[in-house]
Formats: sequence, C-alpha cells, structure tokens
Amino acid sequence: MTSAFLELDVRPTLRNGGEPFQEIMQAIASLVPGQGLKLYATFKPVPLFSVLKSKGFSNEARELDNGDWEVLFLPTEGAAHTAPAAAPAADSAAWPAPMQELDNRDLDPPEPMVRTLAATEAMQQGEVLCALLCREPVFLLPELAKRGHAWRGAFEPDGTTYKILIRIGAADREAA
Amino acid sequence: MIGASLSRWSMAYFAAALIALFAAEIMMTAGFGFPGATVAAPETLILVHVVAIGWLSLLMCGALLQFVPVLVVQPLYSDTLALPALVLLVSGLAALVLGFLQLGGYIGTSFPFLAAASVLLGCGFALIIWNLGRTLAAAPKLPLPAQFVTVGLVCVAATVTLGIIFALVLGGTVNATSLLVLTGIGRPIHATAGLGGWLTFTAMGVSYRLLAMFMLAPDLERPTTRAALLIGTIALAVAIAGGVIAALTHGNPAIALLAAFIGGVLALALYGADVRHLYRARKRKNIELNSRMTAFAFASLAASVVLIAVLLGLGQLEEHIGAVVFLVAFGWLSGLGLAQLYKIVAFLTWLECYGPILGKAPTPRVQDLVVEPRAVKWFRLYLLAVWAGEIVLLAGLPLLFRVATAAMFVATIGIAGEILRTRRLHNVAAASRLPAGAQLPRLLISSHA
Repeated sequence: MTSAFLELDVRPTLRNGGEPFQEIMQAIASLVPGQGLKLYATFKPVPLFSVLKSKGFSNEARELDNGDWEVLFLPTEGAAHTAPAAAPAADSAAWPAPMQELDNRDLDPPEPMVRTLAATEAMQQGEVLCALLCREPVFLLPELAKRGHAWRGAFEPDGTTYKILIRIGAADREAA
Repeated sequence: MIGASLSRWSMAYFAAALIALFAAEIMMTAGFGFPGATVAAPETLILVHVVAIGWLSLLMCGALLQFVPVLVVQPLYSDTLALPALVLLVSGLAALVLGFLQLGGYIGTSFPFLAAASVLLGCGFALIIWNLGRTLAAAPKLPLPAQFVTVGLVCVAATVTLGIIFALVLGGTVNATSLLVLTGIGRPIHATAGLGGWLTFTAMGVSYRLLAMFMLAPDLERPTTRAALLIGTIALAVAIAGGVIAALTHGNPAIALLAAFIGGVLALALYGADVRHLYRARKRKNIELNSRMTAFAFASLAASVVLIAVLLGLGQLEEHIGAVVFLVAFGWLSGLGLAQLYKIVAFLTWLECYGPILGKAPTPRVQDLVVEPRAVKWFRLYLLAVWAGEIVLLAGLPLLFRVATAAMFVATIGIAGEILRTRRLHNVAAASRLPAGAQLPRLLISSHA
C-alpha cells in the first residue's frame, strides 16, 4: 500500500544553489495514480504551481515556522489517471536516451552555445542531445525556442554543472 | 524560464552615453567648470551632470536593460518602455543643463527649466526603475548580483529624489525651510547616493557576473560576497537616510557620511577580495582586453579609497573633493564602463547577427569582431591620461589638466571608433562577414529575430 503522499525535500538542493526542477518532475512522474506530492522548499515555489496545475495537480502551500514552505500537490479528480497518458512527452521517462553528449563546460563563451546549436542542426527530429555547461544558458534558450526544440535543464547536485537535454523539433509537444 | 533575449534599445543608450562623454571631455578641455570654476558653480554642475546622468547613468541603464534579465534568467518586463525612458532622460538632462545655464546667468528667459528637468528626469528614472524592478520581482529568487542591483535601484531613486528637491529649490519652485536647509548641506549625500549607491554598487553587482562569465570563473556566492552586500547596504543606508535625517534635524550629515565611509571601505575591501578570487580562479588563462582593462579600473577604485582616507587624515577632503570625484568617475566607473562596453557590444552584435544561423552555416567567432591590439593603445592612452589628470589636479595645475583631458578625449574617440567598427562588422573578413541568412545589425536598434 503506497502512502497518500510522496515526500520530496528539495531544500538541500536549493541551499547548494541547485535547480530542483528536474528532481521534482521525476518525483511527479513516479507517483502512482491518486498519489500526491509533499514538497519541502526554502521559498514558496509559485512558478511550480502553474506547471503542476497543467499536469493535473492542485496545491496547498503553508509556511513552516522556520520560514521554509511545505506544499501539498494533490491530483485533481479524474486528472490523475489521464494526465500522464495525455502528455507523454511531459514526463522525463518518455524522452529517448540522448543520441549525443557534449561537455561544453571548459569552453570560452559563447563557444558552448555555438557547439550546442551546431550539434542540434545535425540531428534528426525527436532525437535528444545532452550538453553539460558551466552556467544557465540564458542566450541559448530563446534560440532553442525559435528553432522549435524542447529542452529541460537544471544544475546537477554539485551546483556547478548545468545539464541540459534538448529534444529536436519537440517544442510543439511540450511547453518547456 | 525562457532565458533572456537581446535588449532592443541598449545600443541607443550606449550611443547617447558616449556622446555625453565626449561633451564632458570637450568641456573639461575647454576649461569649462571645475577646476577653473568652483565645485558648486553652475558650470561645474553642468559638467558633473553630463558625466553622471548623460554618460554614466545612460551607460548603466543600457547595460542593466540587457543584463538584469541575464542575472535573474527572466525576460525584461518591457522592451517598449526603454525608449520613452531614454527620451525622457536625454530631454531631462538637456533641461537640467539649460536650468544651470539660467542659474549662471547665461540665459535670460524665465522658463522654469529646472522644474521641467525635475519632471522629465523623475519620470525617466521612474520608468527605468519600474521596468527593471518588475523584471527582478518576477524572479523566484534573487541571486547575489541581482541583490546588489536592487540596492542600486533604491539608491538611484534616493539620488533622483534629492536631485528633484535641489532643482525645485534652486529654481525657486519650492521654498520650505527644511528643503532649503537640505539643499544647502545635502549635496554630499546626493553625490554619495549617486556615485556610491547607484553607480558603484550596481557596477559591483553586474561585474560579479560579467567577470565570471567572460573569464570562465565560478559564480560567486561566497560569505565575503554576502558580507559586502550587507555591509555596503548598511553603509549606504547610513549615508543616505542618516545624512538626510541629520540635515533635517539641524545635525551634521558629515558624521553620517564618515560612518558610512568606514562601512563602505570594508564592503569594497571584501569586494576586492572577491574580485581577486575571480581573477585567480578563472579557467581562461589568456583573458581578453575587457578583463585586463577592468583590472586597471579596480586599481583606480582602490586608489580613490586610499585618496579619500589620506585627504580625510590631512583634513583636506573638502579642498580636493573635485579630484576625488574625477578619479571615481573617470578612473573607476568610466574605466570599467569603457572596458566592458567594448566587450558587450561585440558580444551582443555577434549574438544578434550570427545567433540565428549558428550551426547552419560557418560563422565568425566573437573575437573576430574586434581587433584588440589596435584598441589596447586607446585604452592605455585613456588610463594614462586619467591618472596624469588626477595628479595635475591634486598638484593644482589646471592648464596641464586640460592637456590630460584632451588626451582622454582623443582616447575615447579612438575607443568609440573601435566599438563602431565592431558594431558594423568592419573587422570581420568580408568573405565571412554575412553568411546566407545573416543580416547586418542596425546601429542603434537590436532586433530579436
């Protein structure tokens, strides 16, 4: 018997300067039907509310005594069973393994962006590219959007490597 | 999170800023304002505000419109608001200059130029603060550099508020006793809020990120960075709030400013340690011109702090305040500004022109847009001229000062020429300049497409 809530504490990740988005999405993907997510964070994760709402979760947030936040994400009626099936690309397990991996961490900017885009141009529709970078690629992201690619990115637990997965031509299927 | 795109109007801000810098250098070379006139003379006020608003603030606004979105990984709140803000700031500065000319008896009309300047500059800076403030507010969490910028924006609001009060008092629009007193003794608070809070503190925040980015050093979130932020913020609060309260309660703002100076020195020392760490921890061994020249700007900042301390010790700060402001404005802020502008224009132009075709066709590298060996000569001339100018100012040799500022003018024309060549892609070999699909960027307006 699984419990009503899966607990996920992203406070250590946040305190290390990491980006817990991928961690949270993996937890969401692993929920059994009807199960909710109990999330602990160091701030009220407002942007997450709309993301998870689109995946069929309502939320109840409350501030803890120490200023941290506890948020309950509850599957809305009927949505729990249909949401994953309706949006297969939205859960990370649905992405194929990367066809190509790039380690761009030691390159002078904007070389990481140049190589990443060059690699995407050589790939086929639906394939996935994995790139390691040394910071959030703020100028790359709009360019990926313009070219119709979907992406998911986050800092690794070490807090210094930013890992981005890019799926070629998949932007229509997923709102990143 | 969708990242940051190109700021549409930043190039126009940079162009307006450079024109103001040329104007200021021409004034100094012609002997207009300090040191020929006193620090409080209308001529000096014109010079100071052309530098502080026209050159440094427009440069800073243009840079922030581009880099605040990068700092918080959020799009700019409004690209559209940037243009009216620029128009308001430039016309406000023009009105301010006319108002000061009126004070100096150069113009006979009774049009309330100073009141007009208050409205125009107030609205212009309000639009900037609103636009950047909304961008910052949209971030779920502010990284430390963005927190520095936030404090800087509060300081520009304070600076502009004080400036408006002074302008309305000097222009005869208001005559409440307390405001008259504030105008009489509040000028150092206004200058500290502007040069220290708005320009220096914001530049510190942005430099943390830009230096890390361009030298491949890790982003800093060290205890020293937090301490610099905290102590610097307290020092600025003491200087601005403490100073104003002292002035309004018939106290002496100098005590608040002195206390703030001690805090400021501590914050700058911590910042200095951080910057040294950034240079040492960098992965990129051969750093580019902008990072090398920025090191000289840091040296000027350190020299400014030492100079203030020495003059305080000798009891001569008031006598030499013009020389101190000159070193802060031209050695530190302009040195940093010109060095980073040289790189920023190259990077943004490259991104605008070649970003859309990266991977689809061979493209030049960012460094192909610049010719550093040529530019470095202008930067060397600029720095030497500023330091020579500082020495002859302190030595009380106004004629030699004009020679130095003439050299500064020649050097900045040279630097601006290099930046213009970069923007027009003149340094890129003609064969590879515009591959299929690439378009030559417009001079003053950046396009997203």
